[in-house]
Amino acid sequence: MGRFFPAILYSAAIALLVAQFVRLDRSNPGVQGDLSAPALVKEALQRSCYDCHSNQTRWPWYSAAAPLSWWIHYEVEEGRRRLNFSSWTDYVSDPGTEDQKLNEIAHLIANDAMPPWYYRAMHPDAHLTLPERAAITRWIVDEKSSHALSTGDRSERSAR
Amino acid sequence: MTSKAFHTSTAKTLVATIASIAMLAIFAAPSRADDDSSILRFNRGTVEPARLTLPANTPVKLQVINAGDAAVEFESFELHRERVVQPGQTITVNIPRLAPGTYEFVDDFSHGAVKGEIVSR
Repeated sequence: MGRFFPAILYSAAIALLVAQFVRLDRSNPGVQGDLSAPALVKEALQRSCYDCHSNQTRWPWYSAAAPLSWWIHYEVEEGRRRLNFSSWTDYVSDPGTEDQKLNEIAHLIANDAMPPWYYRAMHPDAHLTLPERAAITRWIVDEKSSHALSTGDRSERSAR
Repeated sequence: MTSKAFHTSTAKTLVATIASIAMLAIFAAPSRADDDSSILRFNRGTVEPARLTLPANTPVKLQVINAGDAAVEFESFELHRERVVQPGQTITVNIPRLAPGTYEFVDDFSHGAVKGEIVSR
């Protein structure tokens, strides 16, 4: 074992060095239609969610260091696919989709599931305070109520 | 009846006939929403059609039917659409004006096993 340990260490160091040459794109796409919400809600979401769920990602220095960069890049890509506050007006153009996104946010907030623990560990300021959670929840309820009022006929039919 | 009165009467009849035909043409034409080609039907691990063609640059109201016995989630990351459809339910999804191209969709509850694409052209 003693003979192999330096070889393993050298191999790992070389692999790590070579990995740095695999560069991933850290540029942010344009913002097409950002979320419009009350200031407290918007600020809380920007601080806690926007790094992965918008086109306004703040890329930290370690996001350029492989293999961490690969993982962060994947998280941002997947986060944007699932929910992108920079494309919120697209969701609004289909009220059912907007309602669903709001439901998901409410569920995640209620269960303290977002932001994930590993993100909070690196970004202590990302933690949502109780007043912020309450404000986001209230905003979601208000948004959904206004949808229900404006689209009173949004009832769904039985399948044929 | 004088010749002038006869011509006036004929002209009025002609205008009325043309107007009637135009009205019929407008109201008898099937709207896109009523057209079968803008319907997606999920049923027990399948979706039909798996390749749906929609007109480019035209907003469409897409009917999504769940004829199965478990909820499905119609999701298209490219179209920014995500809707849960309960068993036996039909929903309407607003599809915006699409540039010509192919847009994938999945039943996200199937973890990608049930998928298809919307072709805009």
